[in-house]
Amino acid sequence: MLRTVEVIMVILILAGAFIAASLFAVLPSPRQISSPDLSQLGLTTLQMLDTDKDLTETVFKDPADPSWIDLEIVLSACLPPNIVHNLTVYDIVTLSDGTVSYQAANSITNSESGIGTDSEAASYLVTSTNVTFMVAPQKISGTLYILNCSDANGWWITGYTSQSLASDLYNLLSPYFQTTILVNSTYQLGLLLNGTALKGETLRDAVVINTFGEAVPIPAGYYTTQGYADGSYAKYAWILGQKVNSYNWTWVSIVGYPFYYVTNTVFFASTQNNWGIYGMRMVSEYGLGCFLRGLAGRSYSYSSQSTGSPGVVYLSSVALDRCNYYGIYPAPYQTSTRALPTSILSTYDLTPTELFYRVNNYIAGATYRHTGGGALTAIGLTRIPDIRVTVLALLMYYHPILYKSEFTLRAGERPTQRLVVLQLGQQGGS
Amino acid sequence: MTGHTIDHLVATIAFIAAMFLFLGLFTQTLQGAVLYQQNRHVALKASDLLDNILLSPGYPYNWGETNTTLSCFGLQQPGTTGYTISSFALMRLTSLSGEPVEYPVGSGKWYSNVSLGPCGYLFLPLSDAINYETAAMLLGVNGTYGFQLSITPIVNVSISEYRTDPLILKVEVDGPGFPLGGANLGYYLYRTYKAGKYPNLELSTGTAQTDSAGVAYLNFPFDGAAETYCIVVHAGLGGLKGFGYYIHKAFTGSTGVIPFIVDYDEGKVYLAHDWDVQGEGGPPVPNYFYTAKFYVLTEEFEFQEWSIANSTGQINYGGGGGTFLYGETTLPVAHPGFLLVTYNDVAGGYGMSIMPWGVGSPLAASILFGGVPAGNVWVASDLRHVTVGQLSYQARILCWSLKGYQTRTPSGWR
Repeated sequence: MLRTVEVIMVILILAGAFIAASLFAVLPSPRQISSPDLSQLGLTTLQMLDTDKDLTETVFKDPADPSWIDLEIVLSACLPPNIVHNLTVYDIVTLSDGTVSYQAANSITNSESGIGTDSEAASYLVTSTNVTFMVAPQKISGTLYILNCSDANGWWITGYTSQSLASDLYNLLSPYFQTTILVNSTYQLGLLLNGTALKGETLRDAVVINTFGEAVPIPAGYYTTQGYADGSYAKYAWILGQKVNSYNWTWVSIVGYPFYYVTNTVFFASTQNNWGIYGMRMVSEYGLGCFLRGLAGRSYSYSSQSTGSPGVVYLSSVALDRCNYYGIYPAPYQTSTRALPTSILSTYDLTPTELFYRVNNYIAGATYRHTGGGALTAIGLTRIPDIRVTVLALLMYYHPILYKSEFTLRAGERPTQRLVVLQLGQQGGS
Repeated sequence: MTGHTIDHLVATIAFIAAMFLFLGLFTQTLQGAVLYQQNRHVALKASDLLDNILLSPGYPYNWGETNTTLSCFGLQQPGTTGYTISSFALMRLTSLSGEPVEYPVGSGKWYSNVSLGPCGYLFLPLSDAINYETAAMLLGVNGTYGFQLSITPIVNVSISEYRTDPLILKVEVDGPGFPLGGANLGYYLYRTYKAGKYPNLELSTGTAQTDSAGVAYLNFPFDGAAETYCIVVHAGLGGLKGFGYYIHKAFTGSTGVIPFIVDYDEGKVYLAHDWDVQGEGGPPVPNYFYTAKFYVLTEEFEFQEWSIANSTGQINYGGGGGTFLYGETTLPVAHPGFLLVTYNDVAGGYGMSIMPWGVGSPLAASILFGGVPAGNVWVASDLRHVTVGQLSYQARILCWSLKGYQTRTPSGWR
């Protein structure tokens, strides 16, 4: 009997041990094992809603403003149905003794009965938009036209397509212009040359960037007829020069010999440029010569303009300074094989804004302003084009100011900050 | 003596029974604790994986815009901070949402198929796409954890025909939790019309606002049943932005022109004849004349047409024997937008197809990438809100363990 009693005692001890172990080793509920990271979800929700500063604008508005209702709708819509939320906005107030206090300014929630204790919160600090640090470029008055004609071929833009160059130029330069328009066909280019705006924009004082390298798109019809003389389309370049002068445009050639070819894949479908590329016809050095005559307001004459090959050229100190100012960094030295001679300055009454130090009386890249109106930006570098050089040349010429911080507070006014706390709780289950 | 023996026997039996009983009870507690630890670890891994994927651009940084080989996997938009995701990195992921498609049929060239709405296509060569195994290996979870990533728009814009003549379209806007009442809508309706040999598109734009139920009705003065049109609607409210589209085509003879991305690096797209894709039926099949246009979304949330090469052409069917005819165009690399193709056959039936270029493009495509969790006992999930392009998306991950105690269902305990 004694053994049985001993065994019963052992069982009691084991049972006690099990009960004690069960009491202390309590496993958490399944939800605690794997629940959505509500804190991160809350933070990413706030960040997403503030992508375009919509959240910032709302939290600084009066609690009676309808945008708070929109914010409530947005929170309800974007969070899963089983997640309840409470968004509270606090004013951050610095007292005279330096103590920072947080005073509730407004609160919205979709849970009448409270959010419970099993919740997580994310906080997000916003600064009112009138004190936001920003870099805003001064807008150049005038329209930026980028030639992106689908019915034209490029030359000396090896490794790129005109469309890809147009895309890069658009990204780099559109922040500096009031309006940027892609000219998608030679027909549209013809409209511009005829003085017709494509989208109601201002036509005068525009910048026209030719992304086709040494080739220039030519609209079929009037310009292929009137632009043809002496067995060449050099007269078209002369007409372009005239238009640039009369509209006060800046015509931009991104690489090589400007106006060396004309291109129209439909009109020149069976014509090649002497190098086997169809849709293009050679004009040679007469294109540049005639353009400069047109720019200078002179009558048409089938005349040529030579270029030189100074070799390696270096960005001037002014250009390097502009690189730092605008954050555009092409290689500081480049190879030039189509540089314009300095003699054109006096011959055609041009004033240059130069990118590179001169070599042997050659200007490798510059914007040439004619005293009577109109300008030509000619980047006489060898292929492959680096369009950052073109962008730098234009920014050097127009020199738009970068307003690096725009504080609109009045004197003595303190910057305003608010703390947004989004508390999320999960409903259902236990 | 007999009493002692009985005492010993009873005591021994009781002791052994008690030992087995408590051994089982303690084992059960320990088993629960082990499973808890294991599952907790999987849940933490899910959060870690999701943040690793969303907060790193990978390497090379612009891998989404090229077809280079990856040495580090991540989806963050290069040059940004936080949960901003690259439209093009998402596009390069091998889709789990649609069955791969072979084009030309019988050629052995397979394309990843991102499931879109009617007449919407996104086919990318599997050879250019990043597959699940590569991503898992680069994330360091190959063979230890499985995952599935879904990136879906938060704002769901669904469009349907409410009445056909005159056309009234019903637009419903909602999120995962609630309709989006009072959302501002902007729409672009592209209507096909005959313009000589090739069809062309006429654009109508307008704005509207949803009611408290997230519904709006758009009126158009033409017979919707007889016309071929595509409408793209964007909806926005308080920082949430989304898109939806709807295509109605009068031509119902066959699927029509189907765009395929054939060279991701250069943005080269083939416009294929459906007969060369599906290989069903037989001659005579339609001979299509098409016009393709590409539209990008500007910072002002407006569509701008972007000129593309060979925007018009004719596509006849290849007729077999290894001959396949197609149109070809090139889209600008790294510029999200959509390609809209309108076509007509010689009998004058008009159709349309649409292809997003970049996932956060105006078509707001969804991406499902990774493995299949079916058969795993414990699958942890986590989610984040992200921005793709200018649109609001939800990124959700499912994660499970491939090794360890009781990770598979009973038919396949591991």
